[in-house]
Amino acid sequence: MALLEVSNLTMHYTTRVGDVMAVDSVDFTLERGRALGLVGESGCGKTSIAMTILKLLPENARILGGQIRFDGVDLVPLSEDQMRKYRWDHISMVFQAAMNSLNPVYTVGDQILEAIQHHMPMKERAVRKRIAELFNLVGLDPAVMDQYPHEYSGGMKQRAVIAMALSCDPSIIIADEPTTALDVIVQDRILKQIDKIREELNMGMIYISHDIAVIAEVSDRIGVMYAGKMVEFADTHTIFKSPVHPYTYALMSTFPSVKGDKRELVELSGEPPNLIEPPLGCRFHPRCPRVTAVCQEQEPVFTEVANEHFCACWNQRS
Amino acid sequence: MWKVRVKLTAKSLRANWGMFAHSKLGPIGLFLIVFFLLFGLVHPLYLVYRGSDKIYDPVVGFAYDLLPEGNPHPPTLSHPLGTDILGRDILGQLMHSTAKAFMLGLIAAGFGVLISTLVGSIAAYFGGFIDSVFMRLADVVMLFPLIAFLVALSAAIEITLFKLAIILAILMGFGGTTIILKSQALTVKVKPFIEAARVSGGGHFRIILSHIIPNVLPLSFLYMMFGVTTAIFSEAILSYLGFLNVRMSLGIMIYTANDSGYLIGSRLGTYWYLWLPPGLIISLLCAGFYFVGRGLDEVVNPRLRER
Amino acid sequence: MLRYSLKRFIQMAVVLVIYATLVWFIFYAMPGDVTMKFIGNPKIKPEAIQKMRVQFGLDKPVYIQYALFMKSLFTGNLGISFNHYPRTVWSIIAERWPRTVTLFLTAIVLYYAVGFYLGKVIAWRRGGVADYTATVGGIMLWTVFTPWWCLLLIWFFAFKLDWFPLGQFVTPKVWMLAPVGSNFVFTRMLATGLFGPLAILVGWWGLRKVVHDSRTRKWLNWGVTAGILAISLLVWANSGLGKYALDILWHMGVPLIALLTIGFAGSMLLMRDSMLETINEDYILTARAKGLPERVIRDHHAARTALLPVATSFVLAIAFALNGAVIIESVFSWPGIGRTLVNAVATQDYPLAVGAYTFLGLFALIAHFAADILYAVLDPRISYKRGEGA
Repeated sequence: MALLEVSNLTMHYTTRVGDVMAVDSVDFTLERGRALGLVGESGCGKTSIAMTILKLLPENARILGGQIRFDGVDLVPLSEDQMRKYRWDHISMVFQAAMNSLNPVYTVGDQILEAIQHHMPMKERAVRKRIAELFNLVGLDPAVMDQYPHEYSGGMKQRAVIAMALSCDPSIIIADEPTTALDVIVQDRILKQIDKIREELNMGMIYISHDIAVIAEVSDRIGVMYAGKMVEFADTHTIFKSPVHPYTYALMSTFPSVKGDKRELVELSGEPPNLIEPPLGCRFHPRCPRVTAVCQEQEPVFTEVANEHFCACWNQRS
Repeated sequence: MWKVRVKLTAKSLRANWGMFAHSKLGPIGLFLIVFFLLFGLVHPLYLVYRGSDKIYDPVVGFAYDLLPEGNPHPPTLSHPLGTDILGRDILGQLMHSTAKAFMLGLIAAGFGVLISTLVGSIAAYFGGFIDSVFMRLADVVMLFPLIAFLVALSAAIEITLFKLAIILAILMGFGGTTIILKSQALTVKVKPFIEAARVSGGGHFRIILSHIIPNVLPLSFLYMMFGVTTAIFSEAILSYLGFLNVRMSLGIMIYTANDSGYLIGSRLGTYWYLWLPPGLIISLLCAGFYFVGRGLDEVVNPRLRER
Repeated sequence: MLRYSLKRFIQMAVVLVIYATLVWFIFYAMPGDVTMKFIGNPKIKPEAIQKMRVQFGLDKPVYIQYALFMKSLFTGNLGISFNHYPRTVWSIIAERWPRTVTLFLTAIVLYYAVGFYLGKVIAWRRGGVADYTATVGGIMLWTVFTPWWCLLLIWFFAFKLDWFPLGQFVTPKVWMLAPVGSNFVFTRMLATGLFGPLAILVGWWGLRKVVHDSRTRKWLNWGVTAGILAISLLVWANSGLGKYALDILWHMGVPLIALLTIGFAGSMLLMRDSMLETINEDYILTARAKGLPERVIRDHHAARTALLPVATSFVLAIAFALNGAVIIESVFSWPGIGRTLVNAVATQDYPLAVGAYTFLGLFALIAHFAADILYAVLDPRISYKRGEGA
């Protein structure tokens, strides 16, 4: 059984101007100790999925259907009280712009201590020892744990937030754009560090990013999102070498290959659709170079087109 | 060109009115203001209705019609809220004083806000030395508690209602509001089109007048509402303490009652009509303008709006 | 941090000088001096008036008068009161300021505590009946005409319900055989009110350094608080002054109710607005993701950061309370600095008036200064930046 099974997940936000269909019938799975990458443009729903899994949704959001099976347990019907037991202890998250994830009036150590003591009460000395171990793991000097967030550099804050996410020994970590705000060198270092930690601790990981390069480096499998729907899902190699969905193909063409064959850059006209009134049929059809009549009328079904390779398209490439 | 401006203003007014009507406090405040405005304006009609000026004049009238009963007199049909110590009809007094309060409030706050808008815009536009001077001045003005300062002033000069309006206008004009309006003016000043206007030969004051000030005006109007509250409240307090030289006002009504010992102990209950109505009107007037200010706050300050 | 404090201190001193000058100018430099009120009096001969002018130094040129005033101000000599001759202004002020400070400090602490709690709770609930009633009710009370509201409260609590006395600050019967003056009791009460909580805070801070386990530390904190409270009560009971303090507290009843109802809205709305801003911060989302219970997130994370502007306004409220002191003390006949000031101005007792104003100004400035320091202490970001001289 997979560690995390998301099936037919649908979630929308209610706003003054209408309902935003942020996540629509999304399916994917995550195995123990593996890394899954969710990639797509801004607003495609990848962050919304992460928030939905942890049920950290704002008041105007509603899960309309589907299941989130974590270790066999469906998280969707759980109450807030029940959900709190799963948060951080089993599934934790590294948020976008980690700089702001830390409360400025408490020391970093205190904030990690709070998380640990809530889920696994221990004597304070033991907790401090554990934090020191975590800091070593992410490449931070344990002595800085008693400092305040504003005394850390951007890279240090990122590492601290990762350490905090690891603190309760979760089975899954969701990392939302973990390196966007950092320069390329630090980015590379942190990515390698995260990957090493994942292997060492045999954790499941979900990476969310708009940057395919980052996703490519660290994911075993990739899910491509567009306008709230998952359009393709396969292992990394397949996505890059033989993508079948036109959108994935266009995305991959932007990723120049240093060693491989030259590829034509596919240009997509238009903009991602308004999720309050998405286009009928396939949401990608207004921009798709392979559009036909059926695309404009019926939504394609997310089916298995090859071994462990899923796609939702009427005219997929071969 | 101005036709377009009028159309745009009308459109934004309609949109803003929607937001204002939705705010929690705005509509209540507006209702209070309109109610008391009418209340004050109705006074001449009331006098006509009553007929005899000798009895009903708010300052020099006397309740000849109630003789031989003494004054102050509890409410009767001919004097719905009774008469005060000097035999004057209280209802008429209230109407007259409400009108006066409106005038004082609007004049003082109006001129005050005019000053702070100009000063704030000029300070924002020119920056540098002019800016620091006005900001330091505002700091000093803000430091002094208003009432205590007015009390001290009354020792030096005789303060009439008119003088009070001017003093309040100056204090409010150069005080804390200036700092806020300057920040608002700054947000416009740094926009590229100001540079463009200057490059294309616009004179300083023309730019300030036609570009910066219109952007500050909504906020100015908001603070004018708070200014009216301050003005009405200050006048009432000053009158109540006996430091204001005015013949009739809401505050004076309470002061007269207090000074003659009608507010001590059990008399508070018996002579309720001497102090309860004027105090109530002062409170509701202040509340009205303050509520409108808070309502406008939600329109002008989108941060605090409900989603 | 030290540099910052020093800089602010010097700024404050400069403002104090400007303020004192202004006060002096208003009372002494205006056309028509203090002796004017005697001119119409047939019993006082013109030579006597001239002698008075010489005695008060009013025949000297204006700038010399100003210089003399400044000099005596710096030496702490505030002159002799006209009305309370031959008492010095300083002795009158020294007698009366504890009364004002005790009443207003207690009031401010109370209504800030209430405002803080209410603001925190209604901001977290975000809308609903509680929010609406508290906001509208609070603002209505905030804008109410103070003397009117006080009269209403006096009538209701002191007369109708007979729970509290009608005014003044002591009951003469109780104090007739008192061994000490009211001032003595007031200053002792003030000292308890200030040093008691200070001692508790010091205790907490000390425990934080010594005891690392947060759970036992919480128990010890409560122990320290209870202990210090018990000691204070015991000392008061033993000294025999207990009943006098209680009498004073009883007289403070209605003024405190008035101040509480009028004042809570300000801090409540400030706290609410501050919380609403803080709630949108990312670290609140992180706290939720950590699985912490709602109450912990609200109190430990949101309220703590939202507290910053409220704490500063608390200290500033002390400065502005002096505005209110003038009004409240007049209505309740509470003989503190406010009432002294009003009476002095009304009866043209200029030395006393100037003395009272100077005292108020000094107090306000100290409060502003304390507010700045407090803010720098509470927000580690600011003291860090300031300390670096940024």
